[in-house]
Amino acid sequence: MKEKIKSLLEEALPLVNIDSDFLFAELDSLGVTTILMLLSSEYGIDLDVVDATPKNLKNLDSIVAMVQAKLQAK
Amino acid sequence: MTIEDYLRNNAFHCADKVAVICRGERVTYAELWQRIELKAEQIRARYAPRSVAVLRTSQSVDFLVTYFAMHCADVVAMPLEHDIPEAVFDAIAEQYAAFRAPDGVADILFTTGTTGKSKGVMISHGIIIADSENLIDAMGFSHNLLFIVNGPLNHIGSLSKVYPTFMMGATLCILENLKDLNAFFDAMDYPCDKVATFLVPASIRIVLQLAKSRLAQYAHRLDFIETGAAPMPHSDMLELCRLLPNTRLYNTFASTETGIVATYNFNDGECLPACLGRPMKHSRIFITDEGRVACQGPTLMTGYALDDALTAQVMRAGTVFTADNGRIDEQGRLRLMGRIDDVINIGGFKVAPTEVEDVALACPGVNDCICVSDVSPVLGQRLKLLVVKDGSHDITWRELARFIADRLEGYKVPQAYQAVDHIERTFNGKLNRKFYRNNI
Repeated sequence: MKEKIKSLLEEALPLVNIDSDFLFAELDSLGVTTILMLLSSEYGIDLDVVDATPKNLKNLDSIVAMVQAKLQAK
Repeated sequence: MTIEDYLRNNAFHCADKVAVICRGERVTYAELWQRIELKAEQIRARYAPRSVAVLRTSQSVDFLVTYFAMHCADVVAMPLEHDIPEAVFDAIAEQYAAFRAPDGVADILFTTGTTGKSKGVMISHGIIIADSENLIDAMGFSHNLLFIVNGPLNHIGSLSKVYPTFMMGATLCILENLKDLNAFFDAMDYPCDKVATFLVPASIRIVLQLAKSRLAQYAHRLDFIETGAAPMPHSDMLELCRLLPNTRLYNTFASTETGIVATYNFNDGECLPACLGRPMKHSRIFITDEGRVACQGPTLMTGYALDDALTAQVMRAGTVFTADNGRIDEQGRLRLMGRIDDVINIGGFKVAPTEVEDVALACPGVNDCICVSDVSPVLGQRLKLLVVKDGSHDITWRELARFIADRLEGYKVPQAYQAVDHIERTFNGKLNRKFYRNNI
């Protein structure tokens, strides 16, 4: 899952270093929205404003953890 | 009077009122004016009157202090994008080092809008006041308002809202952007009578995509929302009206060259798409024989800095001829019908595709390319670069994006890339943009 998400995000956000440990700081509002919308669509999960936190989008691992938690809650 | 006169008056008449909220900092009108006066002294010591001071824009109180202090010191403020590459910043500073602006010029703002190429638009103190009065009269800025700015402060969309907010002695809340939507909604909880904000259509789409129900919870607090700078999908307009039935929702016609000239409250039961309303109190609009929107009044730019020829192309006899096609309907409202040039509008930022192509062509491995507007699966429009690779250098899209980002502002970097065998051209060898407009 991690590699798939990484590949998806790299294609959608070519300027963002997806491996960064300070990913949220690198993103703009379009970047945050792109990540949430792409993952919602790819995994059939609901992601909205409450998920767009610095903690959830801190790095690739935290994004993967957020997706896994949403999938488990389905 | 200038906007700084209003700030000074507010420092006496509503000294303890909070003027600006930013990153947890609350600055009263008295404190704000004190900081501006101190900074103005430093600026006077460093710059000659009417010279240009180039600065990188930041969403901060310090930026506003510096910006207004420059005005107080009779120095022209030239705020550039926060992410402008260092080399471009230095080149612009060098270009304007010996320039002395005409009397009364307050700012030089960079734009691509009306002519399709980047240039500095001179804005006078009088224009700032005329824009403010247009906004106050048309939208009802008031003393007890909190206005939330979340767009870049060097862009007329956000910067022009700072002026009426301060003229009325209201409170300005500066957010970095809409990245943290929770901060946007938290800002609306500030204890005041009314809240208003400016959101470009792409930002409205973000809010509708991610926070529809939360937005509806603030329906009773939101006095008005202004949008503009780019076409807004009619479905988003209708949805906003449904969520905020009692909020005035303005679609405004403005540009750096024309100033703020017309607006339309689309929460009027009709919700007309591409309607920009009637001219504001200081402004006049007419349509030329060729169908172009032309504007008159005291909000028009002073001219382009260092380019009298370009000024004469756009501005003649007190009229700015825009690159927008339009008509005036039977009720005197402006209805837009597209642009006459190739400029691409991305979230309110105007991008000349040639500028992107020129940079991309300088990248090793790129043989030919064209920059087009593409539909984003997330947010409407985005830039896409179609590339013919030359085979000499196996460049990745990521490398190409970074190459462009090192030379241009962030909003000019295409988000999508596609390899193609060739680029369509017209019979005389020019890029066939019309072909791509019809086929992308």
